[in-house]
Amino acid sequence: MEPADDIIESEDTALELPSDPMRLNMGPSHPAMHGTIRMVLDLDGETIQNVDIQPGYLHRGFEKSCERGTWNQVFPYTDRLNYVSPMLCNIGFSLAVEKLMDITIPERGQYYRVILGELARISDHFTCNGASAMELGAFTPFLWVLKVRDWIWKVLEQETGARMTHSFGRVGGMAAPPTETFHHDVAALIPHIEQVTGEVEHMLLHNRIFLDRMQGVGNLDKEHALAMGCTGPVARSAGIDCDVRRDNPYMLYDRFDFEVPVGTTGDNFDRFMVRMEEVRQSVRIIHQALEQMPTDGPVNHPDLRVSLPEKDDVYNTIEATIAHFKLVMEGLKPPQGEVYSYTEAGNGELGFHLVSDGSGTPYRVRVRPPCWYNLQACRSMILGDMLADIIPTFGSINMIGGECDR
Amino acid sequence: MATFKLDGEDITFEPGDTVIRAAWRAGREIPHYCWHPGLSVAANCRMCLVEITSGRKIDMPILKWDAKKSDYVPATKPKLQPACQFQASEGLEVSSKSEPVKQAQGAVQEFLLLNHPVDCPICDQAGECKLQDYYLEHQGTPKRKLTEPVHKPKGVRFGPTIVYDAERCIMCTRCIRVCDELAGDHVLDMRERGNRNEIVLAPGRELDHKYSLMTEHVCPVGALTSRDFRFKARVWFLKSAPGVCNGCSKGCNTHVDFDPRYGKVYRLRPRDNMDVNKFWMCDDGLMTYEEAHDNRLFMGRVGRGEAGDFVGAADAIAEAAQALKSVDGNEIAVVLSAQNSTEDNYALARLGRALGATRQYLAAKGGWEGDDILREADNNPNRAGATAAAGSAFAGTVSDLAEHVASGDVRAVLALGSHTAADTASLAKLEGLERFICLASNGGGMADAAQVAIPIANWAEAHGSFTNSAGTNQPFKRAIPAAPGIEPGWRAIASLAAALGHDLGFHRVQDVRAAMKPASADSDTTEARA
Repeated sequence: MEPADDIIESEDTALELPSDPMRLNMGPSHPAMHGTIRMVLDLDGETIQNVDIQPGYLHRGFEKSCERGTWNQVFPYTDRLNYVSPMLCNIGFSLAVEKLMDITIPERGQYYRVILGELARISDHFTCNGASAMELGAFTPFLWVLKVRDWIWKVLEQETGARMTHSFGRVGGMAAPPTETFHHDVAALIPHIEQVTGEVEHMLLHNRIFLDRMQGVGNLDKEHALAMGCTGPVARSAGIDCDVRRDNPYMLYDRFDFEVPVGTTGDNFDRFMVRMEEVRQSVRIIHQALEQMPTDGPVNHPDLRVSLPEKDDVYNTIEATIAHFKLVMEGLKPPQGEVYSYTEAGNGELGFHLVSDGSGTPYRVRVRPPCWYNLQACRSMILGDMLADIIPTFGSINMIGGECDR
Repeated sequence: MATFKLDGEDITFEPGDTVIRAAWRAGREIPHYCWHPGLSVAANCRMCLVEITSGRKIDMPILKWDAKKSDYVPATKPKLQPACQFQASEGLEVSSKSEPVKQAQGAVQEFLLLNHPVDCPICDQAGECKLQDYYLEHQGTPKRKLTEPVHKPKGVRFGPTIVYDAERCIMCTRCIRVCDELAGDHVLDMRERGNRNEIVLAPGRELDHKYSLMTEHVCPVGALTSRDFRFKARVWFLKSAPGVCNGCSKGCNTHVDFDPRYGKVYRLRPRDNMDVNKFWMCDDGLMTYEEAHDNRLFMGRVGRGEAGDFVGAADAIAEAAQALKSVDGNEIAVVLSAQNSTEDNYALARLGRALGATRQYLAAKGGWEGDDILREADNNPNRAGATAAAGSAFAGTVSDLAEHVASGDVRAVLALGSHTAADTASLAKLEGLERFICLASNGGGMADAAQVAIPIANWAEAHGSFTNSAGTNQPFKRAIPAAPGIEPGWRAIASLAAALGHDLGFHRVQDVRAAMKPASADSDTTEARA
C-alpha cells in the first residue's frame, strides 16, 4: 500500500471541497428522529438549503383496521395514535361515537375523563419538553420530568391497569369507574407536578446554551402556520390563539377557569414555553375538576344498548344477558350517518370523521392527526437553519409516528 | 294498485292482505313473533300492535302514573290493533313507531322476558333469536321483577329430531300451526294457560312426521331445537351460501350454513322461494347436508378393494385415460348421474360424444317416498338435467348397462357419481369389468365397484345447477372449498378429455354454462332467488 503522504501530495488528487450542495439522508432510522421518518437534506456547508420530509414509514393501516371489528374494538388502535397520551385519543374517539349516537355520558364520567385526559396531556408535554432539553445536552431536567411522568403513569396504571396503552375509553363511558383512592392520588400528585415544573424551568431558562439553541431557531410565522393547518402548541406558539377546549368546549371544559398560552415568534423557545404553561393550566383544570367531581354515581351511560351491563345482572337476568351478548357479539350499533368530532389532544386538534352504515362495525374511520399538519410546517421552520438545529426544531413539533402515519 | 300509508310511506297491497303481510311484501318489518307469512294468523303475541291513525279515533280511558303527584291520573290511550290481523284498506294510515306503539312493544317484550331463563350462553338460538333482536330494538330496560322465575320442563324430547324447552317458549303456536297446516298432522297442541302454558305432544304420539324440523325452523326463540344441530356450532360463526337441496327432484332452495374456519357444512335452512318450496323443506332434505362430509373420496384409487392403490386425483385421471385409449369409442359406455350437477353431466356427455361413445346411461338413486306436500316421488335432484345432457344418446339405466356389458357390447364404462338405486345385482355384473372408471365425490356404489375412482367436488364445494321436476334450472353456489387437489366434476372431466387428446375448452364454470346454453335454451332457466 502506498504511504498516505504520497496520496495527499500528488497533484491529481488535491483536496477540494465541491461547490454544489451535499445531499444527506437523515433517517428513517436515526437516533434523533423521533419515530421512523426520513429527511432528505441538501446542505450548503451546514446550512440547510432544501429539505424533503418523508413520513410514512410507520404506516400500519390504522383506519382500515378499524373497519373490521366493533366500534369498541377501535380503542386499542387509538391508543397507538399518539402513544404518549393515549388517554386523550381514547376520549376523542369515545366522544366521536357518542356524537354519532347523540348521547352524553353522566357528569361523573365526564369529570373522570377530563382529569385522566389532562394527566395524559401533562405527561405528553413533559415528555416532549424533557426530550428536547435532553437532546441539547440537558439530561437532568429530562430525568426530572420523566419522574413526574412515571408518577402520572402510576395513577393511570392504577385506574386503567396499563401504564401506556390503556384501551380504557368506551363508547358511553369508561371501562371502569374511578378507584376509591383516585381523588386522593391525583390531589397528592398536583403539588409535585407544580414543583417539578418550576424546577425544570429554573434549570433551563438560565442556561445560555439552551436559550441559544432554542430562541430564534425554527421560526414559524402565523400565516404559514394557518396555511398549513397547524393546531395545538405549534399553532399557539406562532401567535394563533386557538384551543378546542376553550373555543368549542366539549365535555365540561366550559366549567373550568383556564387560560390559553400564546407565543409570538413561533420559535422553539415559544413552543417550549407554551407547553410548560399548558402543564400549569392542566394542573388548574385538574384541581377544579377534582373539586367539582361527584363522589358517587354512574360513570357510564345507563342505556343497555350502549354500555355493558353489570356482571351480576348478566349472570342473573335475561335482559342483561341479552344486552351483554348483543354488545359483545355484534357490538353497539350507532345509527346510519356520519360525524366529525374533534378534541384538543396533546398536539392539537385530533379529529375523527366517522361513517356508520348502522351496523356494529365502523364503515369508515378517518383520523385527523394533529401531527400530520404540524409536520407540514416543519420544512419552512428548518430551511436556512443549521443541520444541528433540526434536532430541537423537529423535537419541538413533537411528531408522533403512530399518529402521523397511522 | 291500492295503497295505504305505513309510517308515512306508501305500501301497496293486494285484496285480502293484512297490514303486516303487505308491509312484509314491501320489505318493511313490523316486529312480530307469532305471525309467519306461510301460516295462518294467530294474533296471540301482540308484538305487532300498531296504531291506526286514520278514521275514527278510538281512545280508551286509562289511569296513568304521574310522578309529580305520585298518584294515578285519568288519561287516554289509542286502541292499538294487531297488524297481523288488521285488513289493509285504501287510504288507511298506520303507525308502527308512534309513542303508544313503542310503549306497547316494550311492554310486550318485557312480559315475554319476565320468566325467561338466562340461557343465551347455552342456547342454540342465540345470535338468531327474535327475543334478543327485539329486546335491543324495542325494550332496552333492565329487569324489574326480582322474584324467582316460573320453572317449566326443559329438554323434553319431542321426537327423533326435536327437543323442547318450555321455559324458553313464548307460546306463539307457530310450531302447532306448522304441524297442522304444512304437515297436516295435529301432533302438537298447547295446554294450561298463563304461567303454566306449555306445548305438548298428542297423547301416545311423537313429533315424527316428515316436516318435524320445520317446527324448529319457525320457532322464533330457542324453545324448539334440532337434535342434530344442538351444541354443534354457534350461529354467528356460520356463513351462508345459496344452495339447492339434492334430496329430491323438487329442488327446494336452501341456505347452506357452513363454518369458514373449518370448511364444514353444519346445516341447511330453507331459502324462501314462492315458486318452488315457499318457506319450507322436509326433514330428509335438510339432513342431506351430512353427505357433504360422510364417506367422502379424498384420494383417487386404482384397482379394486384390497388390491386397490390410493393415488392422487391427477394420477387417477392419467390411469383412466390409459384405460380408455385401448378401446374403441363405440365400446365405451358413459353413465351420467341424476345426483350430480348439470354442468358435470354436460361435460361428461360432451366427452362421451368426443370419444364416439354412442351409449349414454343414467344412474340414479332410489328408496324414497314422495308426498303431496313438497317431496317428489323421484329422489334425484337432477334427472331432468342429466337426461337432457345425454340427449339422443340416452340408452337406459344401470341395469340396461349391466346387460350390455354382459352381452359384450360395452367394454369400458366411464361413470359419474356413485349412486345406483341400490341395484346390487347390476353392480355385481359391472365389477368384473377391467375398464370401469368412476368420478365420484362419495364412496359406495359405483365408486367402490370401479377399477379407477377419481375424486371430485360435491355440491357444497362447487358451483353448479340442478334442473328440478318442473323443468326449472336452479343454480347454486360453492359454500366451502374442496380438499386440496380435488376439482369440480366438470374440470376433472375436462382434464380427462385433455389426457385423451380432446380439448373441451372448459376452464371456468361459465365456459360450461355457455356451452350448455344452446342445448337447454328451450328449458325454463330462472335464477334461484338469493
